[in-house]
Amino acid sequence: MSREVIVIGGGIAGITAAFSLSESGSKVTLLEKEKHIGGHVKKWDRLFPSFRPANEVLDWAEKSMSSDIEVLKEATITSIKREGDKFTVYIQNDEPVTGKAIVLATGYELFDARKKEEYGYGIYDNVLTSADLEAIFREGKKIVTADGKTPRRVGIVHCVGSRDEKVGNLYCSKVCCVTGVKQAIEIKQALPGTDVYGFYMDLRMFDRHFEELYFEAQQKWGINFIRGRVSECAENEDRSILIKTEDTLTGKPLKMTVDVLILLVGFIPSVETNKLASMLGLQTGDDGFLLSMDEHTQDNNTAIPGVFLTGALKGPTSIINSIADARSTALQVQVYLKSIG
Amino acid sequence: MGQLYDKLTEDVRFIEGLKACLNCGTCTAICPAAEFYNYQPRMIVDILQTHDDEKIEVLLKSETIWYCGECMSCITRCPRGNAPGLLITALRSLSQELGYFVESEKGRQQLAIKRTVGEWILKYGYCLFPANILPELHPEQGPIWQWEHANIEAVMERLGANYQQNGPGILRKIPQEALDEIRKIFDETGGTSRYEKIEEFSRKKANELGINLDESLSCDYIRHIYTVNDKDHTRSS
Amino acid sequence: MKIEGKRRIWKEYQKEIAGDHYFYVRSCVRQNFFPGSEKTFLRILKEVLDKDIYENPSHTTCSGIGYHSDIVRFETSMTMVARQFALMTEAGYKNLATSCITSFGLYTEILETWHHFPEVEECVRKHLKNATGREFEVPDNLSHASDIIYKFRNEIASKGKLRLINHITGKPLRAVEHIGCHYSRMFPIKGIGGAEYPYVLTGMIEEWGGEVIDYPERRHCCGFGFRQYLIQANRGYSIACSKKKFDSMRPYKPDFILTNCPGCPMFLDRWQYAISEMEGITYGENGFGIPVLTYEELAGMILGYNPWDLGLQVHQVPVEPLLDKIGIPYDQSSKFLGKDGKFIGKPASPAFLKFF
Repeated sequence: MSREVIVIGGGIAGITAAFSLSESGSKVTLLEKEKHIGGHVKKWDRLFPSFRPANEVLDWAEKSMSSDIEVLKEATITSIKREGDKFTVYIQNDEPVTGKAIVLATGYELFDARKKEEYGYGIYDNVLTSADLEAIFREGKKIVTADGKTPRRVGIVHCVGSRDEKVGNLYCSKVCCVTGVKQAIEIKQALPGTDVYGFYMDLRMFDRHFEELYFEAQQKWGINFIRGRVSECAENEDRSILIKTEDTLTGKPLKMTVDVLILLVGFIPSVETNKLASMLGLQTGDDGFLLSMDEHTQDNNTAIPGVFLTGALKGPTSIINSIADARSTALQVQVYLKSIG
Repeated sequence: MGQLYDKLTEDVRFIEGLKACLNCGTCTAICPAAEFYNYQPRMIVDILQTHDDEKIEVLLKSETIWYCGECMSCITRCPRGNAPGLLITALRSLSQELGYFVESEKGRQQLAIKRTVGEWILKYGYCLFPANILPELHPEQGPIWQWEHANIEAVMERLGANYQQNGPGILRKIPQEALDEIRKIFDETGGTSRYEKIEEFSRKKANELGINLDESLSCDYIRHIYTVNDKDHTRSS
Repeated sequence: MKIEGKRRIWKEYQKEIAGDHYFYVRSCVRQNFFPGSEKTFLRILKEVLDKDIYENPSHTTCSGIGYHSDIVRFETSMTMVARQFALMTEAGYKNLATSCITSFGLYTEILETWHHFPEVEECVRKHLKNATGREFEVPDNLSHASDIIYKFRNEIASKGKLRLINHITGKPLRAVEHIGCHYSRMFPIKGIGGAEYPYVLTGMIEEWGGEVIDYPERRHCCGFGFRQYLIQANRGYSIACSKKKFDSMRPYKPDFILTNCPGCPMFLDRWQYAISEMEGITYGENGFGIPVLTYEELAGMILGYNPWDLGLQVHQVPVEPLLDKIGIPYDQSSKFLGKDGKFIGKPASPAFLKFF
């Protein structure tokens, strides 16, 4: 089958790239390894900074996909070959797909919080990740302790798996801070009587309205922000979590019990990204994410003509930025297709 | 970079221990000394990374660097790969080399350690020796140690030691040739010179303070540094 | 608590522990305060496990206590350790077994330093040659004595006569395990189970039938602190650290504490006494303390050795309540007798802490 562009990865970046290419005149095949498209956004409840439902964005993206776009789900790629201008992507148990350009949009995975052993995820029952919390919100469940009680105090730990030489990830995952502030507010909305504490090193409120969200979290919702990275978690007899941190702004060590602890887990490069990168001979940076041709001027191109990158496979990013990036990629692809005639 | 900072960089533990600190507080959160003393390992790294010689000199003369118990908990956790515990060892080393340790109450204690553990290493080949762990200086060792200490040979014999005898075994008499080698190692590696410095600077300080210091372990100065706990080490002054 | 979470981590932190032909270096603290433990270690290795373990009488302290009190320079300590390596090389051994945890930590730190800074190793070789004429090879394997007992815990269990079960209630004994700071804090991969959930002692306790309890201050240092103990004025730090641990573990009602560092059992034992004198508090049942054991003492108990051969009589916190729970017979009248039944006096009893 010959289509002009093959988009690999059906998350928000891949979908946006696909329909942007389609809108601008290309024929697109979208390959997705899971049963459904939508990527990680499917797992979120409400998005920062406005708390709009994730479904809104997802629905918009999926509706934007014209019926001309061929979507192949549960597609596992076994190899990619190139002959002149033509790429052939071989898919397990299916017909190969051809095209004149490939867009990689294979995204990221979440850091496995169990690797941060001292936080006890997977050992202590009242330690959850931000993803676990989103699932609780999304499924309309209540936030409760392992004993089914309403927590009187919830702690949120920033930078789990990021900015951390000990787990091998030196980079900042960019969006966890604003996620932490968002979730702190959402917890207060669900449990107004519960005290919420955020433990941070820096608060990275990098985009529009993020800083205002932080202000609102403090002023309107009374959320406490303590500047100190949580060093260790232990379990009390009643399974509440004892955390040790330092309040660096007062310079005093702090020991505190919380009923539930939320770990803001960061991004790691996805396994698929690495696999495809080696299939295509693409370079990864020292942080494990893929390198584009030039981070300022050609961030969607690679050194291989016809191969383009979009989304979180280049590094941690927000949904807003992924959508913008995917559209930019579509433009670059069109420029390329025009140039090869 | 000043002279003091440069001197610190000659210590491999300093190189290993100082990467760049972002003041996250993970080290202080877990530090036992920070729990009990007016101390934050974070501040040590923060000051050192300014490379400011004036601040470093203050540190070398301060009580601050002597609070650490060298448990290394800070090293396990630091997300930037710093090692406050190792930096403390480098600071303590330099403080003794330069004689600054006598400017602090806790620093002055080094002489007592040198005259006990320090001398025993050379004399017996062990850091500790039972006859010298006097119950009156160690009441916390309890009546059990009082009895052991009074009957040390018999107790050691009962427990299968080769107490101060030739050949292998517990608390054996380490051969003189071995002790001579240790002495030579100390001479060769600046270990002897370090001991001498600790003595010399302490002597000067004892004069200054008007407290009698002689060779015995029971002289006024040694008793003084062993027991005095005047300053309030648990609150900022 | 999900124990599978811990098991996952334990599987990840495995290390090579030599199986035989050990060059043994002793511990200053243990020789002074727990001689029975070192005696028992060699007895177990030779008589029960049939291993070749060799001690050169010319070996000395590694200077660890002096090093960590900062009176001994790093260069001096490294060269003293190099001398130990030289004795090992000369005797034809490649596996080093340390009795002390601070030694283990120091040797590991030195080897890592040499790995990252080869010029430092060169310098030490020169120093050693100049001072003593000796040359050395670094050990192929560096293990702590507790690693070795851990490695052979199955054999010890199978040759053992008893299990860590309360023979009256039939329930497993509840143990607190306490790992020395210098075992795995600096280099977690050098410790079995890593730094957060170390397994070297847990493995022994589990294999021998006991149950390990987790409690909030499990990872807290016992408070040795080197200079923080050696100088009387600083001992507040030391006792406060231990007290934090006791207060935290008390609600979990441990039957005993197991340690692998020389200093820790001494402090956890003596500070219970000191706290009882200062505050009238005891942490065990009925006015007793919580018995603190070394892993060799525990192994020896399992193997049916006479408690007074193991050195349990020189603990300030009596171990008899634990012996009774396990059903280990002992002759109280011979507790404080010297060799061949010689009478050598008896210690006085503390004011508060119950004692036999």
